[in-house]
Amino acid sequence: MAEQLIGVDIAPPDLVAKVTGRAKYAEDFRAEGMVFAKLLISPMPHARVRRIDARRALAMEGVVGILTADDITPVDAPGEACLTMEPLYQGEPILAIAAVDETTAANAIEAVNVDLQPLPFALDPLQSLRPGGADARTEGNTYVRTQESRDFQSLKWPRSVFDDAPPGTLPMGEPQTEWTIGDVDAGFADAAVVIEETLSHQSLTHHPMEPRSTMAYWQNGKLYIHTSTQSVARTQAAIAAQMDLELDDVVLIGEYCGGGFGSKITGSPIMLVPAFFSRKLGRPVMMRINRYEEHYVGRARPGFQAWTKMGFRSDGRMTALDLYIVQDHGPYGLSGDHNSAASTASLTYQPENMRFRGVTVYTNTPPRAAQRAPGGGAIVAMLEPLIDKAARELGVDRVDIRMINAPADNEAWMGANQRPLTSNFVRRAIRIGADQFDWAAKRQLSGQRQGTKATGVGIGVSPYSGGSSGFDGLIVIRPDGRLYIHQGIGNLGTHSFADTARVAAEILGMNWRDCQVIWGDTSQHLPWSSVQAGSQTTHAHTRANHAAAMDALAKLQQIAAMDLGGSPSDYMVDEGRVFRRANRSRGLSFARAAERAIELGGRFDGHELPEDIHVMTVGSATGLAGQGLMGVAKDNYGGEGAIQSWVVGFARVEVDVETGHVELKEYLGSADCGVVLHPRSLAAQIHGGAIQGFGMARSQKWVMDPKWGAGFANRFYTARPPGILDVPLEMDWVAVGEPDPQSPVGARGIGEPPLGAGAAAITSAIADALGGQCLCRTPLTTDVILAALEGREQPFSILDAHV
Amino acid sequence: MAVIRDMIPAFELFQPTTLQDALALLAEYGDEGWALAGGLDSFDWFKDRVKRPTAVVDLAGIESLRGVRPWGDGIEIGAMTTLTDVIENEDVQSRYGLLREAASHVATPQIRNAGTLGGNLCQDTRCWYYRSGWPCYRAGGNTCYASAREAMNREHCVMGARRCVAVNPSDVAPALIALDAQMVIAGRRGERVVDAEDFFIGPAIDITRMTVLKPGEVLTSVRIPPDYAGATFYFEKVRDRQSWDFALAAVATAMVTSGGNIQRARVAVNGVAPYPVRLENVERVVAGRPVSEETAEAGGAVATDGAKPLRHNDYKVALLENLVRRSLRGTEA
Amino acid sequence: MHDVEILTDREPSGYSRRSFIKGVIAAGAGAYAAGYMFRAPGGLAALPSAQGSVERLITLNVNGQRRPVDVLKQETLALTLRYKLGLTGTKLGCDRAECGACTVLLDGVPHYGCSTLTHQVRGRQITTIEGLEAADGTLHPVQQAVVAEGGFQCAFCAPGFIMSMVALTASNPNPSREEAAQALSGNLCRCGDYNKILNSAMRAAEYVRQRA
Repeated sequence: MAEQLIGVDIAPPDLVAKVTGRAKYAEDFRAEGMVFAKLLISPMPHARVRRIDARRALAMEGVVGILTADDITPVDAPGEACLTMEPLYQGEPILAIAAVDETTAANAIEAVNVDLQPLPFALDPLQSLRPGGADARTEGNTYVRTQESRDFQSLKWPRSVFDDAPPGTLPMGEPQTEWTIGDVDAGFADAAVVIEETLSHQSLTHHPMEPRSTMAYWQNGKLYIHTSTQSVARTQAAIAAQMDLELDDVVLIGEYCGGGFGSKITGSPIMLVPAFFSRKLGRPVMMRINRYEEHYVGRARPGFQAWTKMGFRSDGRMTALDLYIVQDHGPYGLSGDHNSAASTASLTYQPENMRFRGVTVYTNTPPRAAQRAPGGGAIVAMLEPLIDKAARELGVDRVDIRMINAPADNEAWMGANQRPLTSNFVRRAIRIGADQFDWAAKRQLSGQRQGTKATGVGIGVSPYSGGSSGFDGLIVIRPDGRLYIHQGIGNLGTHSFADTARVAAEILGMNWRDCQVIWGDTSQHLPWSSVQAGSQTTHAHTRANHAAAMDALAKLQQIAAMDLGGSPSDYMVDEGRVFRRANRSRGLSFARAAERAIELGGRFDGHELPEDIHVMTVGSATGLAGQGLMGVAKDNYGGEGAIQSWVVGFARVEVDVETGHVELKEYLGSADCGVVLHPRSLAAQIHGGAIQGFGMARSQKWVMDPKWGAGFANRFYTARPPGILDVPLEMDWVAVGEPDPQSPVGARGIGEPPLGAGAAAITSAIADALGGQCLCRTPLTTDVILAALEGREQPFSILDAHV
Repeated sequence: MAVIRDMIPAFELFQPTTLQDALALLAEYGDEGWALAGGLDSFDWFKDRVKRPTAVVDLAGIESLRGVRPWGDGIEIGAMTTLTDVIENEDVQSRYGLLREAASHVATPQIRNAGTLGGNLCQDTRCWYYRSGWPCYRAGGNTCYASAREAMNREHCVMGARRCVAVNPSDVAPALIALDAQMVIAGRRGERVVDAEDFFIGPAIDITRMTVLKPGEVLTSVRIPPDYAGATFYFEKVRDRQSWDFALAAVATAMVTSGGNIQRARVAVNGVAPYPVRLENVERVVAGRPVSEETAEAGGAVATDGAKPLRHNDYKVALLENLVRRSLRGTEA
Repeated sequence: MHDVEILTDREPSGYSRRSFIKGVIAAGAGAYAAGYMFRAPGGLAALPSAQGSVERLITLNVNGQRRPVDVLKQETLALTLRYKLGLTGTKLGCDRAECGACTVLLDGVPHYGCSTLTHQVRGRQITTIEGLEAADGTLHPVQQAVVAEGGFQCAFCAPGFIMSMVALTASNPNPSREEAAQALSGNLCRCGDYNKILNSAMRAAEYVRQRA
């Protein structure tokens, strides 16, 4: 029997390259004649470029050229171009200069004179909503999409909205988005306990380890681009679209991505600078993005100011949830984090009645993008401590209140249209997590003091999207007898590029050593794929590879039946052979079958292709035609409902009541994500996501001076992502492992939910250590906690943004 | 001139092997010269292109500036001794554990391997307005951005401000003040020795400098007398992250006790003022009193005399008081 | 086009469209020893040197090899390694001594390559991630341990962490998990793979002990 490939730990095939330094990230490539680009970034949060004098810079020895917004393909508002003549945030790139070395390029940037006309700017959404408040964009401060039209709008609330809001309470004017399920007022009337709070969640830079450096050059009319991107097939498509090129005219090399977390889903705008610049100069351009620039161009999570009111019956059941979110949108694009926050809240608590209202406001702060569990992770981090508050007031156990509100197996709904899920087993995740964490014993520690240390225990329930469907799989068995699995998905560190390939090998009865994963280079014939975002990949591409493998299996059986008699169904596969079920010796090797496929041609070797596959897959399969037995298919497995995975986090903290310092002593994440493909990688996602959640909830900062619109969290030590000493020495995990019935493989993605679980378990545990006091903001830094413990003035008011 | 925060501009690099040669070079270049120790502070300034010396004088090749040696009944530590070497030194470990503790709280292992005792003491403030190259008082301008009405000053000072509200970031400075150390300074005109607490200066004395070092002068060693060797020590640094972070507040206390009574104590704090502050009023209050919670309370109560928080750092007052109090309980951190 | 006056006084680079590309290389040792970093003809290279300042042409001892190299006075070791010696395993994550991706060993001790002047390491043994494998391709026990544990996610931080682990296990082959964490606290991992990294470090110590 071939080895088991699902549910076992196998180091990914790129690991040796990673531990020897041979793994090449974008900035590790060199090309002959390569020059170096540096950026001139805006010192102002909002300005108009009046004049650029680059004469002195361009006269410097070694300087080879300049690229401005005039040299690039324009982007329609509210989209974001890679260079601009109207910077909308401090740090926005205005122009680039290339020189034969980095120092000369940097010297040349200093020699450029840019005449900027300062324009009014807005950093805080609430300030922008005030009468007379500045709009972040000249066109307005928000963008409205309706059935009939889409346009900018300058949204202002009447002064009374602000005057009537008590201090520290969110002003709530006319929302842009509103939906209601049931009747929240009736729900509150039914409630034994009502909790009402104003909430504040900061924005947050992604700060992946690898800054988004890019090297690009052109050859024979084709763009060759080495960049840091989460997705590969989809980034190629995005670049082609943004540069008005045919897909074939873009060769993207992105074998390795040094972290993205949503900030490099299809790369990001800045990667186009070397692409345009190398075309203009006729030579390769390397642009190394430094950490300082990464803070500005590197994307961030939208923060929000919010308000919630929740009602609970005496048994803990949530009768009503009312939620209002004012989202900080940054200056570009269309962000739906606030909507995701609302639908995630609805899924987590299944309120009997719910209302959501929201507005999203442009600000002159660095651009936002999806960041791991966008919206959802943030909202559970804010709401879970309030669930605890209700539990305390009702005298209900904190696990029990989550069990009663979490959906029963396969009975969940989410969002305004109350969409069902493909499956869910969150209550089991809560139960097995509580058992393994020993909740029954740990909750006794709640509030206990040892010296100056107060213990708190917390729980965070966090669902998020875990799949998509309808993408293509493409595999080839070559006459060397090996299975080549072509993956259009990127290698963003989750190991999914390898783990989802195992499905094809398992179906075909191959040992892993006889398989090769092809990834990361679009000249290597890659199929149409999902983006590596929203934890879609595991679900989408186990299915796509399943479909391709089933196609290959059928072809193997057909060839065997043709050559050896009987019907295809008489044949099975194992150990690289297809043979008769009744007589194992009667069969042929995959190597031989591949030769036969080439002889037979047609659909067997890729000369005839299914009609429903994507045009990108058609091109790739055509490029591989005739090289072996091809399995190629679209995932047509279908399915009904939203695909959501869950993690329930359990944490124990100690808060030093004299300093406000929090030590995280213990953490366990319990997952419901279907079949476990790769246990060790699942653990890595549960823990790694949680650690990003710890950072979001506890240490990570995003600080801007309100007068000057300048950011200061542009260093690691001011942005404060967690280090190895900020997390428990050992972290635990467990998984339900119940297959998702709507996927032939049964696996869902798990990248997103761990973040909210980690963040919420910490906010919940800290509130517990503080005797149930909920500070309703992130991050819960030492100063915030100490001020609460000492009963002193908080360093910042609850509605202050960017602090 | 547009701003870019990348790539060190060209400078001349000198690597003298004697102190005399180094001092001669620094004298020659004057304001254009820069004495380089471990470089952790210097390279930031250079890469940010905010400070742009013509000549950098690398002190690493001067053997006499390295190592720990006896000094009477105390010890003398060369200013170019790395923090790791300070931490691993047996004398430091057995007699001056306070310094060891403080040095081990600096940043990260790699920084302690390269960073020196002298460099840690002479490092510039981390005020982000100043370090962003804004033309504030400390940078020779005529305003303080950090104390403006809406400014972001959570990390800034609660005492000792005079126009500038930046804080001294050194972890080892308060420990050396508590150990009553002396700083040995060499210049072209010879050597001078100043008490640790007088080595650091606030904006009232010179708003552009953190220490008494004048251009052309070099801190060559630190002498620690035996007076507090083996005393009861307490060091604690409160920070947002447990590695690579500066103190929100730090305390270093040395107490000589006898029969359960505090004979004498020295208490120093950092992260709360533009210079590390010796809290003599605390020392006076606790001297001669028993080691007890009451004494600790009494000491803590006067620790923040005169403190004036800024808009966003009121917490530092409580933090400082609590840290000083717990440093006097006679228990370890 | 934007209505902005752009003064350049010269046409953009006069390079023709003839192909400059003979192929992209994943920079290998020695392949581009001339380097790209600082090549301004006449420009920086022509700066006169003050009397008594350092000589630019030096020889470094990298991974047991003597490597002659022309180094600017302000050049950092990370840039020399990456752009002049083709050793791109040493990563630049922050260039500010904060993240540890550039960690290399100097005489066996971990240092941030981004915050060390190349001129400061003359005469010292420099070890980078590329120098860990044995000549026959056998991985260093630390590398073997990482592979066995499936360590790291995106792995941009891996070379730096591994160098710190090599130093740790050489000086303390029997560390506690707490000691390992302390030794690795100068390296940042944004994927948050610390648990698996510590598992790798503990296994690495075990392998090193077995080999001793």
